[in-house]
Amino acid sequence: MSSSFATIPKTAPFTEEDVALLNQVVGPASAVQRAWLAGFLAGVESVQGAGAAQPAAPARPAEPITIVYASESGNCEKLANDFAKSARKNGLKPTLVDLADLELDTLVSAKKLIFIAATWGEGEPPARAVRGYGELMGEGTPRLDGVEFGVLALGDTAYVEFCAIGKKIDERLEALGAKRVVDRVDCDLDFAQPAGKWIGEAIKTLAPPPDETARGRVIEVDFSNKPSPNTDIVEVEITELTNLNSSRSDKETVHLALAFENGTPAYRPGDSLDLYAENDAAYVDELLKLAGLSADAKLRDELIKTRDVTTLSLKAVETYAAQTGHTYVKKLIEDGAAKDWIVGRQLIDLIAEFPIVLSADHLRAVTRTLAPRAYSIASSRSEVGDEAHLLISAVRYKTNGRSRKGVASNYVAERLKRGAKVRVKLKPNKHFGLPAADKDIIMVGPGTGVAPFRAFVQERRAAKATGKSWLFFGDRQFTHDFLYQLDWQEALADGSLTRMDVAFSRDTPEKVYVQHRLFERREELVEWLDNGAHFYVCGDAKNMAKDVRASLVAAYADVKQLSPEAAEQAVAGLERDRRYLTDTY
Amino acid sequence: MTDELSRNEHLKEASRYLRGTIADGLRDEVTGAIVEDDQQLVKFHGMYLQDDRDLRPERTRKKMEKAFGFMIRVRITGGCVNPTQWLALDRVARDYGNVGIRLTTRQTVQLHGVIKSNVKNTIKAIDAVLLNSIAACGDINRNVMCVVNPDQSRAHAAAIEFSRAATERFLPHTPAYREIWLDGERIAGGEQEVVEPIYGKTYLPRKFKIGIAVPPSNDIDVFASDLGFIAIMDDKGEVAGWNVTVGGGMGMTHGEPETYPRTADVMGYCSTADALAVAEAVVTVQRDWGDRANRKHARFKYTVEDRGLDVVRAEVERRSGTKLAPARPFTFTSTGDRYGWSAGTDGRGHLTLFIENGRVVDRPGKLQMSALRGIAQTHDGDFRITPNQNIIVTNVPTDKQAEIERIARDAGLLAPWSGLRRNAMACVALPTCGLALAESERYLPDLIDALDKSLATHGLSADDIVIRMTGCPNGCARPYVAEIGLVGKGPGRYNLYLGAAFDGSRLSKLYAPDLEHDGILAALDPIFAAYAASREKGERFGDFVIRAGFVAKTGNGADFHANTGALKHTAAA
Ligand code: SRM
Ligand SMILES: Cc1cc2nc3c(=O)[nH]c(=O)nc-3n(C[C@H](O)[C@H](O)[C@H](O)COP(=O)(O)OP(=O)(O)OC[C@H]3O[C@@H](n4cnc5c(N)ncnc54)[C@H](O)[C@@H]3O)c2cc1C
Ligand SMILES: Cc1cc2nc3c(=O)[nH]c(=O)nc-3n(C[C@H](O)[C@H](O)[C@H](O)COP(=O)(O)O)c2cc1C
Ligand code: SF4
Repeated sequence: MSSSFATIPKTAPFTEEDVALLNQVVGPASAVQRAWLAGFLAGVESVQGAGAAQPAAPARPAEPITIVYASESGNCEKLANDFAKSARKNGLKPTLVDLADLELDTLVSAKKLIFIAATWGEGEPPARAVRGYGELMGEGTPRLDGVEFGVLALGDTAYVEFCAIGKKIDERLEALGAKRVVDRVDCDLDFAQPAGKWIGEAIKTLAPPPDETARGRVIEVDFSNKPSPNTDIVEVEITELTNLNSSRSDKETVHLALAFENGTPAYRPGDSLDLYAENDAAYVDELLKLAGLSADAKLRDELIKTRDVTTLSLKAVETYAAQTGHTYVKKLIEDGAAKDWIVGRQLIDLIAEFPIVLSADHLRAVTRTLAPRAYSIASSRSEVGDEAHLLISAVRYKTNGRSRKGVASNYVAERLKRGAKVRVKLKPNKHFGLPAADKDIIMVGPGTGVAPFRAFVQERRAAKATGKSWLFFGDRQFTHDFLYQLDWQEALADGSLTRMDVAFSRDTPEKVYVQHRLFERREELVEWLDNGAHFYVCGDAKNMAKDVRASLVAAYADVKQLSPEAAEQAVAGLERDRRYLTDTY
Repeated sequence: MTDELSRNEHLKEASRYLRGTIADGLRDEVTGAIVEDDQQLVKFHGMYLQDDRDLRPERTRKKMEKAFGFMIRVRITGGCVNPTQWLALDRVARDYGNVGIRLTTRQTVQLHGVIKSNVKNTIKAIDAVLLNSIAACGDINRNVMCVVNPDQSRAHAAAIEFSRAATERFLPHTPAYREIWLDGERIAGGEQEVVEPIYGKTYLPRKFKIGIAVPPSNDIDVFASDLGFIAIMDDKGEVAGWNVTVGGGMGMTHGEPETYPRTADVMGYCSTADALAVAEAVVTVQRDWGDRANRKHARFKYTVEDRGLDVVRAEVERRSGTKLAPARPFTFTSTGDRYGWSAGTDGRGHLTLFIENGRVVDRPGKLQMSALRGIAQTHDGDFRITPNQNIIVTNVPTDKQAEIERIARDAGLLAPWSGLRRNAMACVALPTCGLALAESERYLPDLIDALDKSLATHGLSADDIVIRMTGCPNGCARPYVAEIGLVGKGPGRYNLYLGAAFDGSRLSKLYAPDLEHDGILAALDPIFAAYAASREKGERFGDFVIRAGFVAKTGNGADFHANTGALKHTAAA
């Protein structure tokens, strides 16, 4: 339907997002509104905006609106900011709240409430929002009668629990008596457009009704979010590409050094880079062969470069059924078996197992745009200057009798070479940065989780930081999988790293992991934390992050002789004052 | 030559009886290595810090230190282990080692690639079955070798009894091993209280090796030992007493003629009652007379050569209070193993298995490690590791023999047909040995394939010819007492030595230097041809090449480097 009011052409000198926003406003606007807008904009030109603001000035005091976001990698946070900006422009008084800091009673204070929430893990809230989310869902939440609300959910259709958290919050607010005035929208990885549209509409509904005295009502849309160089996609040259695992290892972890030619983004330790990969041509060719579309060179190119041709979401299966009318696929959905069937399968399995005459458009319809992959930056500009280093583990596995290869990690590991170019975009993470230089830090980063900590250590070396630092690293074999071993030895020698403990799971009959080492060192660990150390965890979200947290709770219980509840509180306390920080995936 | 004590002497002196800073080194988890000084000291504890040389080229690029790993050498007197002990060794080799079990030329077992954090676990596991690695390396008396001849059970019993007594007598007394590897109680101020009655603070100038032989088998190569005892039998087949040999050794350095292999001299005869006292006297003479300034001149063989046999004999007699009688006559027939079944007492049998270069490992189609495990699980007799890197399953009752032979056959553990392969040995060399100049264990099998072709064309396939290869001149596989000796010179290049005696009593002579694969074949083929054509009845290959004038004969060592080279120029050589 969005095409129905496309007034402003794509060719307009605005970013895609802006064009979208403009269309949402101008499209449905009445003739009067359009006329006014034309005059107004002309006015802005001549009067330098001086008088321009005036007509938009709300007649009565701005109404408060609370915008709560649950964000891990910053998408929801950014959208919440966008929302606040244009809310302010439209006669609302926005307060931004990170669900991590939510005090329940503040919910009732505002009569207008917006939630922008991401889903992580397997349908879980973003790490730092766990507490706030728990309280919102738990007993003793105040009634929200008379509160108007709307929820925007961010997610990834690749996950079975698509936008689970947004959905749950949406239900919960209604259950608490609040009134849904904007319908929830669930966004996939390519959320920019739908989210922008949702914001526009939400504001239209929530902004104060047209002021009679004004000549027509103005929806002020924030045109000011011009892309900053730090958030642009840039092409960089690969100056080093080395598999750090020994030739005897069954793992492959690539150390990638990227050189920025014109201007290095001002990245900080803890930030990530979004890497724009291409699909494996061999896979795409097989896909096209199965689809009987091998002849279409243009489609092939399009699929390789821009479409997500591996992910198989429920949505994709439904689209496939709808578009092709494939009876078995339809049946699969009707029987409610599709949800289980897609597990461990990819688009190629769907086409292989339910072949049918397909068109290029069918393929476009069942695929979404290929999303970039995030990689923690493993270097500090203070040490590597115009470079940024990444540590990328090649994802390879076998499911349903097919060997699978992670798109981005194998694009890097198998197809990129030294000297080649690759497109990246800075993905800042202000929730995973270093504390003051005199503060102690404890870093837990097994596998590629160690990447940001290499940046931390480099940064602290350059800053001559006085705080102590302690790294816990783990992998499979000491001899074959000790990532950056020489770097750590150097850091320990020059003091930029105070101590290091390692856990290699395949060197002994019984497996040893970082969480075991943490518990072994519990006395010193708790002592460091009592002295104000910051605790960082990076890497695997499925098990490691949980086990590490559990073992820290156990450490507190044992060292301080606390009840499990009290120990849990101790760690929760660390989280609340931002001394327990995670960046897991 | 300087009188300045060698670096290692100061090190031993300062080591607080072999403790050094080993314990601290183990606590550093971020490196797989230990500091240089401790690397010298751990040898006394039976281990070496090595690194996988195959991986060296890639490590720095991958931001990793060398692929360090410890070689652990167990001390097994006379190569005797029981099934429980074998199963424990098999277990640690799989849990902590990286290339199976390595049977050595001195009847022990080595594990390779044990990472630092696992050394303690390994030592504890073998300690649990009453094995240890104390003094398996280092400047001290090493594992005592003992003839394996299982069929002469009474003589063997006497020989192994003597071996064990010698082992006990020459063990170090320092508790360092227990403290460091087994978390043993640290005796307060222990280092002061310990006394090393035989060694003192600085132990011996160099490694010291004892071997016990029972004719007619010279499997232990008694002439290559610092100190040897040759059993002299009475007419009832009991051991009456011992001939004592001194000053044997193999190691030398390329291009340094003042270093050379040496066959031991027979010093005299003593009774069983006096034997241990004589042994101790010999050890202390070497302790006091051995060269502590120049490690390349520190072995007992040089002490004997420099002082002269008579002087050494007199001092040994003085210290032991025993007069040595003139040596009694004895005859050795070979240094090899007798493969297959041999009859023991009370209907039990002994099965000598063939383990190529002593490497017990599971390879596709040859699951030898598993096979030996299987045998150990059913077997209630013993195992005996031979000085030829093989293993004997001893005292198998009749009802078990068929089963054990089947397991062995399925795993290819029965001796091959090739006479050359049956009499072959290769040292470890690459990738673990830090001193290797060329491949050995990983190359000899291929070379033998090629040589077998040439031997076949001359109808010599089944003839017993002793061939031994080492990756450097240290001589770990005793190549200088092999009829065909190949000694690594550089990558793919070997010195070819010929003319040693089949029974290990005579050294060989350099025939041709720096041969590559084809050169070795080209040099040997015409000699094989001549041997096949003109050998006398029962004449051994090693004797033939001298009689036929291919190489000059070597005496006991000092003349090893004299008139080398091919005397007779055959078509190829
Ligand atoms: C495992 C073994 C060879 C084998 O394939 O079985 C062996 C292996 C090594 N020998 Fe040996 N020697 C072995 C029997 C010998 C023998 C044979 C014998 O004693 O009958 C000799 C010649 C006799 C002699 O001592 O002269 C021998 C003479 C040496 C030497 C030269 C000694 C000398 O004074 O000339 C060295 C180098 C050194 O000591 O400086 C050496 C050093 C080494 C080292 C430890 C290399 C090093 O020092 O860094 C080798 C470890 C390689 C590895 O990766 O495992 N090895 N070594 C044998 C273990 C015997 C045991 O169980 O105790
Ligand atoms: C903030 C952040 C930082 C990150 N930092 C790093 C980093 O520093 N280094 C790094 O290597 N990665 C990092 N990642 C992960 C990275 O972004 C990619 O997810 C990863 O590289 C896989 O991407 P891919 O395109 O290769 O695989 P994809 O094509 O995306 O395939 C991955 C998918 O395959 C499936 N899958 C994977 N393994 C299995 C299995 N064993 N069985 C069944 N299904 C499986 C899962 O559905 C998984 O989502 C980070 C992620 C985030 C969010
Ligand atoms: C490790 C990981 C797990 C995720 N799990 C889910 C999930 O279970 N369900 C879902 O809908 N989206 C999931 N997502 C997608 C995120 O919700 C999506 O990237 C969102 O844009 C992140 O928003 P944020 O940057 O505000 O955290 C996951 C993403 C990552 C990296
Ligand atoms: S002979 Fe040389 S190469 Fe072979 S094991 Fe001994 S020291 Fe190493």
